[in-house]
Amino acid sequence: MSPLAEIRDLVISYRTGSGGLRALDGTDLILTPGETVAVVGESGSGKSTLGMAIGRLLPGEAHCEGGTLSVAGTDVLNADADTLRALRRDKLGFVFQNPMSALDPTMRVGKQVARAMGGKPGQKEIEALLTRAELSEPGRVLRAFPHELSGGMAQRVVIAMAIARQPALLIADEPTASLDASIREKIMATLNRLRDETGATLVVLSHDLRLIARHSDRVAVMYGGRVVEDGAVETVLDAPAHPYTAALLSAAAGSEKPGERLDPIPGMPPSLSGRCEACAFAPRCTFAREQCRTERPEPRVIAKRRVICHFAEDALAAPGAERRA
Amino acid sequence: MRLLLYLLPRVAAALITLLGVSVLVFLALRMIPGGYADILLGPFVTPEAREAISQRYGLDQPMIVQYWRWLVSLLQGDFGISMVTQKPVIHEFIRRAPVTLELAFIALGLALAVGLPLGVASGIRRGGRKGLDAARVVGAIGASVPDFVVGSVLIFIFSVWSLWFRVGGYVPFTDDPVGNLQTMLLPGLTLSLFGIALVLRTTRDAVLRVMTEGYITAAVARGETPRAIIRLHILRNAAIPVVTVVTTYFGFLLGGAVVVEVLFSIPGFGLFTFNGLLNRDYAIVQAGVLLAAGVFVAINMTADFLYAVIDPRVGS
Repeated sequence: MSPLAEIRDLVISYRTGSGGLRALDGTDLILTPGETVAVVGESGSGKSTLGMAIGRLLPGEAHCEGGTLSVAGTDVLNADADTLRALRRDKLGFVFQNPMSALDPTMRVGKQVARAMGGKPGQKEIEALLTRAELSEPGRVLRAFPHELSGGMAQRVVIAMAIARQPALLIADEPTASLDASIREKIMATLNRLRDETGATLVVLSHDLRLIARHSDRVAVMYGGRVVEDGAVETVLDAPAHPYTAALLSAAAGSEKPGERLDPIPGMPPSLSGRCEACAFAPRCTFAREQCRTERPEPRVIAKRRVICHFAEDALAAPGAERRA
Repeated sequence: MRLLLYLLPRVAAALITLLGVSVLVFLALRMIPGGYADILLGPFVTPEAREAISQRYGLDQPMIVQYWRWLVSLLQGDFGISMVTQKPVIHEFIRRAPVTLELAFIALGLALAVGLPLGVASGIRRGGRKGLDAARVVGAIGASVPDFVVGSVLIFIFSVWSLWFRVGGYVPFTDDPVGNLQTMLLPGLTLSLFGIALVLRTTRDAVLRVMTEGYITAAVARGETPRAIIRLHILRNAAIPVVTVVTTYFGFLLGGAVVVEVLFSIPGFGLFTFNGLLNRDYAIVQAGVLLAAGVFVAINMTADFLYAVIDPRVGS
């Protein structure tokens, strides 16, 4: 199947007071129609930059230093304003982390949803769309102002607006991070149901590996502005080939037995000012050797996934992987 | 109901403010050296004559009694009688109201007509590129040059070269509309310069702040046109701080622009109150200050009401 979106060797930096900050350092990601991809990483890993770059929604300080990015046949990086707007309107749907700030506080929800649908939709159509996003009282919601909704309801409104024009690609950046734990699963379930209904590709950006892994087909782990491991969820989670993925799994709560300790990852994620000429994870990695500190690892395919690590075979064979399996 | 609960405490606060203003202006006036008798009778007045004048206007009474009498008549709608003209001062103020009102509207109109579009344009452009921002320069100059300097410069220029405008010689609009505008536009412009700077800077900052909000990014992400985003999202959300300063500015204008009215001999509230002060005509100054404060307070309450209309979050 031809890919819906192709991101190749994408490099994006932010201009800051002191030189630049490289958020994406050669990111590769290919999205095929209809799949759900979880992009996982810590804050600063570049996942939000990647998500926003797909719609060219980055602020003025960000600029692209290399690579290609195309969505549904459109060269996003070089498109003119009208092409870009048409792409955003017809092909892309965004769900943001904080639904309250994604809605205009001075406009009634109904009007905002109607704007997202385009044209002049009737009340029935707006209610139908809100119902699809599993809002139980669409009539009341569309007359409300955003501040009169709960966080979960507001996020459902944002989701309804994102799917209003049947997008080919839905990008959800930490869609559940600002919500109560009790409704996170439900929001993820709604997103997946709508993906099935619309046939869209769903990309969920999150730091919560376990939550989104349950709802995804594929997982792409990001570190230091690169996708360090990318493969089917079962493949990657059962036997991670990148030490960072393994460390993330050990650090994540959820599967531990009583009395078992969670292992935090020592150190801090890197902040790059230019191209990283080593493995970005080497300083925090238990497998790191001399080669990791001197040579930039290139992507390769082992054990049915794409991984960026000089010693992925060692990580695969490590006992930690067996314990989790 | 929501609005009532929101406005009720504000009305109470306004009344307390006005009471405070009445005490302040009353005390301040009586602390100025020299009274009406000195102004009227000159420096060589006999103590008997001064006594007679004081008695006639009740100025010999203890201050608390004088204040109480004034307050009681105020509550009955009586602002007192001018010692100079022997007429009720409120009539004089009503007669001068159209002048001050016209001046205020000219200044406000100019401030909005120039400040709003420049502020919006400047705020939106900043999101894109950097460089010298003319609007900021205008804003800085307008906010920092005092009106008596601007007024004096304008008077100088237009006294030497008339260029259609006239300096001084006010005529009512109903008598001679063109002549009225010829005399009113210069003081209006002088007054508006500060307003232009105020509106421009406030609008610019508000637009800049709104542009960083998540719902603007969300609207861009939905593929809304820049026009629609400005019209539907930016203007309304940026309006709240702009309404605050515009209403405050308007209240200040309606209270009578003393300096500009004196400078251009415009017979409005400001000039009248100023002359009242020179004559120690207490009733005029007291009424003038209290009216200005009352207008200011009323305007601010209107602003409070407007917020509640613009921003549904207010008061709920």
